[in-house]
Amino acid sequence: MTTHSTARIDSNPQPDNRSVGGPASPTSVIASARGLVKTYGTGEMAVHALAGIDVDFGRGELTAIMGPSGSGKSTLMHCMAGLDTVTSGTVVVDGEDVGAMNQRQLTRLRRTRLGFIFQAFNLVPTLTAAENITLPLDIARRPVDRAHLEAIVAAVGLKTRLHHRPSELSGGQQQRVACARALVAKPAVIFADEPTGNLDSTSSAELLGFLRRSVDDLSQSVVMVTHDPRAATYAHRVLFLADGRLVAELTNPTQASVLEVLGSLGAVDDAATAPELTAVGA
Amino acid sequence: MGRVALRGIRAHLVQFILSVLAVTLGVAFVAGTFSLRTMMSSTFDGIVDSSMPADAYVRGAEKGAGYSMTGTTGETRNTVPASLVSTLARVEGVDMAFADISGPIVLVGADGTAVQSTQSPSFALALHPDDATVTVVDGRAPTGPSEIALESATLESSGLSVGDRTKAVVAGVIQEVRVVGEVSLGAPMAGATIVFLDVATATAAYSPDGMVSTISVYATPGVGEADLAADLIPVLAGEKAAAAEALTGNAMRAEARTDIEGQLGFVQTFMLVFAGISLFVGAFIISNTFSMSVRQRMREFALLRAVGASPTQVFASILIQAAVVGLAGSALGIGAGLGLVSLLRIGFERVGMDLSGSIPLDATTVGISLAIGTLVSVVAAALPARRAALTAPVEAMRDAASTDKSLRARTITGAVLAGAGTAALAAALLAPESNGSTTLGLGALGLVVGVLLMAPIIARHTLDALAAVFVAGIKPLGRLARGNVVRHPRRTANTAGALMIGMALVGAASVLAASATASTRSIVDDGWTSDFSVRSATGNVPIGAVADVRALDSVAEVDVLSFGPTMVTRPGETASPENAVLAVGLPVDAFGRSIDIDTVSGSLDTLTGGQIAVKNDAAVERGWLVGDEVTFTSQTGTTSARIGAIIDTQLVGTPIIMSDTLLAQVVEPAQTTVEDLLITAAPGTAPADLRADLTRVASPYVVLSVLDTADFAANLADQVNQILVILYALLGLSIVIAVLGIVNTLALSVIERTREIGLMRAVGLGRLQLAGIITIESVLTAVFGTVVGVTLGVAVAAVMPTVFTGTGLTTLAVPWAQLTAMVGLAAAVGVLAALWPAVRAARLPVLDAVASD
Repeated sequence: MTTHSTARIDSNPQPDNRSVGGPASPTSVIASARGLVKTYGTGEMAVHALAGIDVDFGRGELTAIMGPSGSGKSTLMHCMAGLDTVTSGTVVVDGEDVGAMNQRQLTRLRRTRLGFIFQAFNLVPTLTAAENITLPLDIARRPVDRAHLEAIVAAVGLKTRLHHRPSELSGGQQQRVACARALVAKPAVIFADEPTGNLDSTSSAELLGFLRRSVDDLSQSVVMVTHDPRAATYAHRVLFLADGRLVAELTNPTQASVLEVLGSLGAVDDAATAPELTAVGA
Repeated sequence: MGRVALRGIRAHLVQFILSVLAVTLGVAFVAGTFSLRTMMSSTFDGIVDSSMPADAYVRGAEKGAGYSMTGTTGETRNTVPASLVSTLARVEGVDMAFADISGPIVLVGADGTAVQSTQSPSFALALHPDDATVTVVDGRAPTGPSEIALESATLESSGLSVGDRTKAVVAGVIQEVRVVGEVSLGAPMAGATIVFLDVATATAAYSPDGMVSTISVYATPGVGEADLAADLIPVLAGEKAAAAEALTGNAMRAEARTDIEGQLGFVQTFMLVFAGISLFVGAFIISNTFSMSVRQRMREFALLRAVGASPTQVFASILIQAAVVGLAGSALGIGAGLGLVSLLRIGFERVGMDLSGSIPLDATTVGISLAIGTLVSVVAAALPARRAALTAPVEAMRDAASTDKSLRARTITGAVLAGAGTAALAAALLAPESNGSTTLGLGALGLVVGVLLMAPIIARHTLDALAAVFVAGIKPLGRLARGNVVRHPRRTANTAGALMIGMALVGAASVLAASATASTRSIVDDGWTSDFSVRSATGNVPIGAVADVRALDSVAEVDVLSFGPTMVTRPGETASPENAVLAVGLPVDAFGRSIDIDTVSGSLDTLTGGQIAVKNDAAVERGWLVGDEVTFTSQTGTTSARIGAIIDTQLVGTPIIMSDTLLAQVVEPAQTTVEDLLITAAPGTAPADLRADLTRVASPYVVLSVLDTADFAANLADQVNQILVILYALLGLSIVIAVLGIVNTLALSVIERTREIGLMRAVGLGRLQLAGIITIESVLTAVFGTVVGVTLGVAVAAVMPTVFTGTGLTTLAVPWAQLTAMVGLAAAVGVLAALWPAVRAARLPVLDAVASD
């Protein structure tokens, strides 16, 4: 196994402790949270999905968020993206305080600054692939940058499938259309929620490779929630959550180092898939 | 499985609410119809009981042709001498006997206009001082020609009080009268205007020949009705000349009730048509709801099948749900129906028609309503239930919802039906003589059902065109909305079906109304040559007014157009009430002077010699030819006449036209109605002067109006426009149901598309934009239904003038402005229907939508 820096951290890490670990690119912050708490229910029934998180996501980085089921990784992403309200704490995306925004401002934020890729049901079934890709621009009534669009379409390899409906595309192709859609508006940050969750390993590799290239070549910032250790290896940095707290962080992860951290967190549910993935990757 | 079905309803309560409402609406009409019918029956029974209180009646034994206010020919009997009273009063067991003397009257109310409520009769009765069944509750009974008493409700609606002076037109003559009393008949009289005169005045006015239609006989205490009638029979047998018969009061009242039931049947039919339409259209809503619900729950059914449920059990579980929806809707509908009847009763009271107190609800009404509502909803759910039952267990493992099944069979059936319907319409158009109306009806039915079946395919193609303006105008919402309505063409078509049917009916009716108006205008323009016409709101111009008009210096000629019932037979036939027809009589000189009639064969000059003219369509129907002889039979005897001319006119509504002198022979004077005075101005009189003179003479009669050609055409057109009221009611109903249907489909499809909506919101779709998409979907659906419906309606109605040319519908007129307004209205309906679903969709939290599965 290659050597790597593993920074074990407490639940209240210092920001400057973490911001050193970036790869080749210089890291400034594109999105950050301070004292982020998300509680569902009240009193005895209260569940602390996020129990006080301070985190920065680097500009021009692919950051993966991992953790066992129920660790709060999806909640963190939803709060960062303004899809969910926070109980306390602040969220700042691209210099804007998301927590202070009303619905109209959140819509505008999503429309202009954010891109989304979900695990499934990413596309509007009545629109063609091309129409799905330009949907955010159409909704915002912004002109389509043809050159940019063609570059993206070429990069995801969808040139011949542009006029097909989602139902006529494979799962991998659908996710690539979703990727292209997320990129087309040149958002400040892309949030991807288990983007490879429904894909086979080949399609996963294609999609993740494409996401990574968008960061390396186009300086795009990406935050990705995943439970797949292999997917996490495409990230510059991996954050580990457990019980609503940030418990560990890896930079330049490998599959082995990711599995090691997960193992130490007792993420048994992920362990089942890990050997299989290793075998496929070998 | 029953438990699964009931839990299913509880879990998806919102989904079924609108289906329940659809049933409610339909059943409300059913329940309302029956309870209104019962209420009206009991009201009229009350009238019959209180206006026919005698123990036995004596009336004419021979039947003849009659004419009732509804314009139909019916049955009347010969009159009997009033002098029989003295003979009858002497019979053992008879306490009292009165001749029933009554006739039409016009009473002038406190506001100077005639006291008359819509459609209710206005008549005068002789008040016998000994009659114990009428009670003078205030003042006293009238004595002499200048005194009257009024029935309580009439007194109230007239605005007069006991002691007031007013005018009345009695037997065609204006009288100054004073109200001296208020009389109660002991029951609400449904708006009839009833005036009491003393016996001498009534006899002079209505029975100058001493003949009456009935005599009331009261028994001494202890004598039964049947015994009384039996005792009268031998007495009448001794009075052969009177041709009279006796019957018990109960038998007389039963006959009267049967007559009234027949009239009420029309109201019932009319309301049941509404009920039928709303239930039929409601079935679309229910069917849509269940197919969407089944679609959503495919995996649940597959799971049930996987754990061992049989297809029949799954099928039954859906039908149980449908039955619950139907029962709930019917129960609410019965309540709503009673509410509807209460509103109607208030409406009737406003126009002066009092109905009896309680709103009846009998077990039959409840049973029929529940059964109909449940049946409709179970039948509507049967197809979706079948689809659910055929779910393969393996579907539980699959992710994507199954796709809609092919529309091919449905489309082909629809195309065949629509093709056959169109062919039938073409046949009716080309050969209207051979059973035109039947062919037309079947053709219209085939076309409508065929188009309903083809609607999904039509939707797919039409909606692209309709949506073009939105796709181009409102980017990208238009395209998204179009995608949504075209995605499930079957659903869109079913949703639009409600509006399609309503708009087809309204479209057809509005074309017919416009055509009838245009036809009337052209008929009047062609055939009307007199300067003015004087008509009466009661349908009968008083004799006094005829004389008054004749006396004017500015009038050169008055042609009196009168009509009456008679029985017409060909040689060898026996006269019976089935041969009853209406005949019009005119002075022979009127032809060419005040009325212009085209002859098909023969000559109108022959009318001078006592021959008659018959209308073309009647001649064709009865096989009459010029030169044929027919016989008229009335109480006064039989008269034979030859057919001298076959004419083609729409100015006169009756099949037979004759000279006024002949009419006087074949129709009894008492049954002759003066419909119209056709007036020719004296040379050199300006129309304005003549009108002023006529108005001055006519106004004391209160009910007369003076019309020139334009007024006359407008007057006839007004009558046509009265059917527009029905039209608007139909329009309102179809809009209400359409709104329900569209709201239902949109609300359910919002639930179905939760994730898609969440996705679009996540990539930046604003709430208003989302609401915009749903609104456009709604408008597209509504406009689609309207355009197809109106097109259908206009197509069918366009054939009618050719088929029904004989009934006066000669010109086809399409009210484009009105039809365009209906499409505009549909768009507004679309916006209205989208409100609630759009708000619901906009309120969906983005995260819930994204996270939902």
